[in-house]
Order: sequence, then structure tokens, then C-alpha cells
Amino acid sequence: MNAPKHTYAEMYPELGTGPVSTESAVSKEFFEQEREKIFRHQWFSLLKRDSDIPNPGDYFVREIEIVGVSVLVIRGDDNQIRAFHNSCTHRGNRLVHDDRGCTVGMQCDFHGWTYDRQGELAYVTDEEQFYDLDKSELGMPKIHLDIWRGFLFVNFDEMPDQSLETAMGDFNQDLSPFAFDDLECIGRYRYQVDANWKTTMNAFQEGYHVAFVHKRSAPDAFTGDDNPYCHIPKIKLQDNGNQSLAVPAAPEHKLSPTEELAFKFGSTFTQGIGNTEICPGTWQGEAENWGFDLNIIFPFSRINVGAGWCYVDAFWPIAQDKTIYELAYYFPKPVKPSQMISQEFSKIVLRDLSREDLATNEVTHSALMARSIDKLQLSDQEIAVRHLYKTVTARVAG
Amino acid sequence: MANRLPEEFSDLEGYVDWAEPTEAARMARRIGASMEELTDYYSTLLPRMEAIAAYLDQWDLPELPDDAKPLLYLGMMYMEAAVAVELFKDPDVPESSPAEKLTVLTEHGERALLG
Repeated sequence: MNAPKHTYAEMYPELGTGPVSTESAVSKEFFEQEREKIFRHQWFSLLKRDSDIPNPGDYFVREIEIVGVSVLVIRGDDNQIRAFHNSCTHRGNRLVHDDRGCTVGMQCDFHGWTYDRQGELAYVTDEEQFYDLDKSELGMPKIHLDIWRGFLFVNFDEMPDQSLETAMGDFNQDLSPFAFDDLECIGRYRYQVDANWKTTMNAFQEGYHVAFVHKRSAPDAFTGDDNPYCHIPKIKLQDNGNQSLAVPAAPEHKLSPTEELAFKFGSTFTQGIGNTEICPGTWQGEAENWGFDLNIIFPFSRINVGAGWCYVDAFWPIAQDKTIYELAYYFPKPVKPSQMISQEFSKIVLRDLSREDLATNEVTHSALMARSIDKLQLSDQEIAVRHLYKTVTARVAG
Repeated sequence: MANRLPEEFSDLEGYVDWAEPTEAARMARRIGASMEELTDYYSTLLPRMEAIAAYLDQWDLPELPDDAKPLLYLGMMYMEAAVAVELFKDPDVPESSPAEKLTVLTEHGERALLG
């Protein structure tokens, strides 16, 4: 690769080139400011699609630890998807205890108050004993929910300071044409990480680590003689903190016997669905030796797209030193058993590869906490890491 | 004990314990196995995978009969073993976040695909 040495610093001179302070990753006070100034106002990707709850009454519950809210998302009889605090308006008891399911309504197990699938209060036990109770005012407390290309997002602001569409920024053009509707969730995983959310996410924001961290799982899929350090062929950093990075694929990648089988039976994360047409909504046509795109929705969720498949993930901050990393793979819905077997290959490799990505987080976090180092030295290839710190610091200061 | 696999796969009957129905159980079995066991499983199944796929593909997934499911699970378990044998040379993923910190939440989706 003969690209100039510092391509990205030239594209984004405002980000500078000096070392970056680790203070925002180690300070508990800074984390509290992130909570107040960023997390309470952001759109949270729930890493689910509308098609994951296709029928009236289908629901799931997601704890959003950082704001301390249990969220119930349910499809109503009118086919609308709504989000509520998972709490009874009587005295606040939790209404739904299962993670997911299909229900005719929600009944509180404290005193039997019952809500319909639109969240309206339908029944109050021994209602005559109350004074002037107006059931129409006592539906489950609503949470803002919006949908972008099928993906469900919630916002805990009383009045969100920006719409989801505004928060998506350039993704409304760049990513929107991707054929998400053809895909089905085939795998979902959750990891506990004892590290700051930014330290955790940083391990997923560059290709520099690939030759080292993924030497076993991907010895030649993303790195080769002409790109030994997985240089990122295309990066776009948006002013609102969103980021896109194209991850290269090495043309000389040799398929193992099993990868060959998997591709014969269906699609794989390295070979895609085998079509020769360019997938809209990706950089397949613009980036040399394209593998897939990482698309980061500020601050910490992603919709990453490959040739006919995608994975969504998020680095959920729990505390200054605790993060949950959740990810879900969406592949073409398998029709035949051989396709299900085929997809197992990509699922397992990507799952195990993410375990490698997470390996460095906790020891790195410990070293930062011990102030063993207090600055990060970042190369041009790590400009997305720099951009994250810059955006977070500016938001907290602003 | 009655055979659990279709007759044409009776050569694999000795591996039927590996037919774990969920990803979480297959991953646990892989990590709990020795490299010798995984290599044996991999080497035995690899030349049979095309026949397994052809047999199972008589049906679409939602119509797959229950008595064919152990064979499907053996095929899916093959992928776990193959990744250990071909990539990691170890039952687990070396230099990684420990498996105990991972919760596999795939089971509902797997069941839904099978109707």
C-alpha cells in the first residue's frame, strides 16, 4: 500500500496528532459527567429489530443499567411498537420478569393491576376503594422509542434534544440503502467486561491490532503481504461523533477445508453471500480489497455491515470500570439445514474473535487505573480512537 | 439402545452424545473436550459433512423431523470442533476473555428457525 503516511491526520487536522490523556477513562467524576451530559440524552440502540418482535404481544425487556431503568418493548394490537418503564403505576413494582415472550397483557404480581398490550391501564383490583382514580392517566410510563431502518432505539430524555434521524447523521445516506430487511438474527451474545467502556470500545476501532490479537482466528483474512498491518482503506468521522471504518479483506486469504464447506452450503463472513453485485449501503465499491464496514453511532453502539450480512453491537457502560459488550449477528434467514450449519461457522469464528478482542481490555484498564501510563500514543491508523476521546471530552465540557 | 441417527449415518452413532441442541451447550462441550477428542470428531465428520447436508436438505428447516435433528446438531457441533482444530489448536480460545464472562443468548433464535 503506497498511501501517504498520515492520510487521516491530513483529512481531520482538527483532531491533532499528540498523545491523548487517559483521564476520561479512569476518573469516576468524569464518568458521572458522561452519564449526565451524554448517556441521559442519547438514543440507545437496543440491538434488536422490529422483525424480532413480529406479532402483537411480542415483547422483550432490557435493563439499561446506566440510567437504572428496566425497559419493556412490546408490539401492540395496532402493530405499533412502544417502550415503557417496566413498572406498575400503582406503587412502582416491576411488571414483567421474563426477558422475552408474547403476552396478552401485563399483570402486576403485587396487587393485580393489569395493563393491555398498548400499555394502558385496563383493570384495577378493588377499584372502589381508591379516590378519584383516572385509569386513562395511569398507563405504563412511556419511553421515547424510534425506529431507524428496522432497528429499535430508545431515549430517556423527557423531550429528546435531537431526533433519532438527526443522531444518525450521514448514516441516513451512507448506510440507509443496506438490505437489512432480508436478514434474521442468528446469534446473540453478552460479555461482562471489568473495564471502562471507552477502553473496551477502543479495541474495536482500528485494524492495527489484527495481526497480533487475531493471529489464530484470522491469520490471513484481513492481513496479507500488501497490507500486513490491516491498514484501514477508508474512514469517515462525523462531527456528531459517528464514525465509519472500512475493514480490508486480504485477497490472498486461503479458505480452510471448513470455511470452504461453509461457503459451499451458504454464506460466510469472509466470502459474503457470493453475489458479484456491490451491496448498497457499504463501501464495497469504494474501498480497495473491502471486507466489511464498522459504523459507530455515537457514543457506543454500532451497525456493522458486510456483503449480505451485518452485526450490531454496543459497549454498554455500567459503571466507570464496568461494561457490558453485547452483539448480535444478522444473516440471510436460513431455509435449508445446510445453511444453518454453514452460518454456524461464521457465528463461531466471529464469536471467538470477539473474545480475543476483549482479552486486552481488563489488563489495560488496570494499568490505566494504576496510572502506569497517563497518555495514549495513537497512530494515524488509530484516529477513530482519538476522535472518540475528542468527542466525549467536548460533550462533557459543553 | 435404538440408533438415534438415520441408518446411512450409523457409522457416526458413537458420536451421538455430541449432538447438543444449543450453541451454549456445543461451546461448553468443545471447551470441555480434549484436543484428541476434538481432532477425532473433526476428522471423522469432515468427509461426511456433504452427505449430512444432502440428507438434511430433503426438508426446509421448519419441516425438519425431530428424528433428523440429532444429525443437524452433529453438523453444527462439527463447526465448533473445526474452529478449535483448524484455527486455535486448542479446545478454548487462547489469550481471550474467559468463557465464563460470556453468555450465549442464541437459543431462542435457534428454536424459532426449527419451527
